[in-house]
Amino acid sequence: MSWRQTKDAPFYVGYLNAVPKPLVTFLAVFAICFTGGLGLAALALSSTQNDPGSGGFQWGNRFENVGILELRPYPVLRVAANGETAARTYMLAGQGKRGAFNQAEKHGSTPVTLRGVPVNRGDLTMIQVGRVETAEDAGTPFTPSEPVPLGRWKLTGEICDGKCYAGAMRPGRGLAHKACADLCLTGGIPPVFVSSGPVENRNFFLMADKEGNLLGDEIKPLLALYVELEGDVERLDDLMVFKVDLAKARILK
Amino acid sequence: MSVQYTPVIWNRNKIFYDAVLLIAVALYLYVYIRVAPGFEDVTKPIDGATLRMRAFGSCAFLMLTVILCIGPLARLDRRFLPLLYNRRHFGVMTAGIAAVHANYVLGWYYNFSPTDKYVALLSSNTNYGQILGFPFETLGIAALVILFVLAATSHDFWLSFLGAPIWKALHMFIYAAYAFVVLHVALGALQGAGDPIFTSVVAASVVLVSALHFTTGRMEARRDRGEETAKASLQEQGWLVAGDLDEIDDDCAKVVTLSDDERVAIFKYDGKLSAITNACAHQNGPLGEGKVLWGCITCPWHGYQYNLSDGRAPAPFTEKISTYRLQLIGSTILLDPNALPPGTHVDPVEIGEAA
Repeated sequence: MSWRQTKDAPFYVGYLNAVPKPLVTFLAVFAICFTGGLGLAALALSSTQNDPGSGGFQWGNRFENVGILELRPYPVLRVAANGETAARTYMLAGQGKRGAFNQAEKHGSTPVTLRGVPVNRGDLTMIQVGRVETAEDAGTPFTPSEPVPLGRWKLTGEICDGKCYAGAMRPGRGLAHKACADLCLTGGIPPVFVSSGPVENRNFFLMADKEGNLLGDEIKPLLALYVELEGDVERLDDLMVFKVDLAKARILK
Repeated sequence: MSVQYTPVIWNRNKIFYDAVLLIAVALYLYVYIRVAPGFEDVTKPIDGATLRMRAFGSCAFLMLTVILCIGPLARLDRRFLPLLYNRRHFGVMTAGIAAVHANYVLGWYYNFSPTDKYVALLSSNTNYGQILGFPFETLGIAALVILFVLAATSHDFWLSFLGAPIWKALHMFIYAAYAFVVLHVALGALQGAGDPIFTSVVAASVVLVSALHFTTGRMEARRDRGEETAKASLQEQGWLVAGDLDEIDDDCAKVVTLSDDERVAIFKYDGKLSAITNACAHQNGPLGEGKVLWGCITCPWHGYQYNLSDGRAPAPFTEKISTYRLQLIGSTILLDPNALPPGTHVDPVEIGEAA
């Protein structure tokens, strides 16, 4: 039996201010449930978001160091060891979604004083370059070490832009962030491979092509996905470099 | 009803409707952005821009879900009909919330780059050939464009200007917008690290919207079959048996489905019977589910009114609908299935005389 209008049923006409009483009660209950439901949904959805991790700008810990700028193949700062710390290699990025190629190319292999802001997540550090000046007092002449080959590896993980993943954005990985990562890499930010398994206890790798050159657009379809990559791993002071053979890359999911 | 076009003809019911809507949306955003982060188990807070884009995006998604549920809910239970009355304001607000979400995305993920953010939006990811990594932003843009067009043409001016069939067809694109939004979320946010709550909410939305439409679709089909009484019954020189007098309450109607799926509403009022098409000239509202108020048929959706004898809206309104001829033999109502031109006068059948 289909529904049929009856004489006694409450009838609502929107432009009449008088709403039948049974409908007033029903609509009041609905309004409370609708409003309360949205509030509860907001609480449930927002409070259970995934942890974006510990990455972030270290605004209170400004970076200033003397070192040599190199292209490996992305800009890095090589800092000599001193009595207490071993030699270090820092990845560099410019302001916003820009790389630091101009500064690296301008200063060649002369010692510089580089000021900036570290963006740090665990043992991944990216320096957002502020000012670069030729070092007036470079101290003892310093020749950066050559990379140490660590063999051929097949690793699974995600290709990210090194700056956002380090903490410039929280979260700074995943498919929702893919377009941003794409723009960052186009702007010259170094790509970083976040491996699900460590190599010498390190999970973050600066990426290069299999010849050690810059990666091109061929990396873009692989960005922000769970992929398997194969290539040679090298250690540059404390920085790991993954020279990937993209022809052998596989999307896992 | 109005003979002139003004942006909004406010009345108390619309104000209540919009007030509840605004309070609910404001509560959602406040809880999402300001309250719930205090309960998060995170090492460091999520970026404010990301939090806001998620808040506005999820809010628009939930609003769209509710909008799509109102129609079938009102078919299943007429007490939901008041929600239909001002649904266009719900839609316009949803388009606005979705636009804020898009603005946060543009100002965060596509900003700080040498590339113009609008160029970047369309050019940064062009992997249309792959499912994982598909540029889901494009799906969001498509949904937003549809929501904007529907919001912009939601006013009765556009209904009158485009005509009901085109306007109705245009506004059916809300389903395309919903499909785009679901894909936008499924290929974007849901591909991140597992978030069972959000995944469940999206799945529940899809199941709810689909199930309600499926159920009401079956109900309507069953109703059409059940009310084809005329088609399979006694016929007398082209007249169809439409039912019995006792089936109709005073000031109410019985809806009869004709063989070509057209529905006719037969009203009983003041000791008389009149028949008109069941479809309101405004938005195809089911007139047969309305009532006779002040001597006029009153549509249950937006209160549009028509005279019973000629199907014309009372002056100064100009809408008119088809009428039908009736006969009454004993208590059996006979209907001439041939629709008369909209606005044609038909003398009502006097119940007392015939019976």
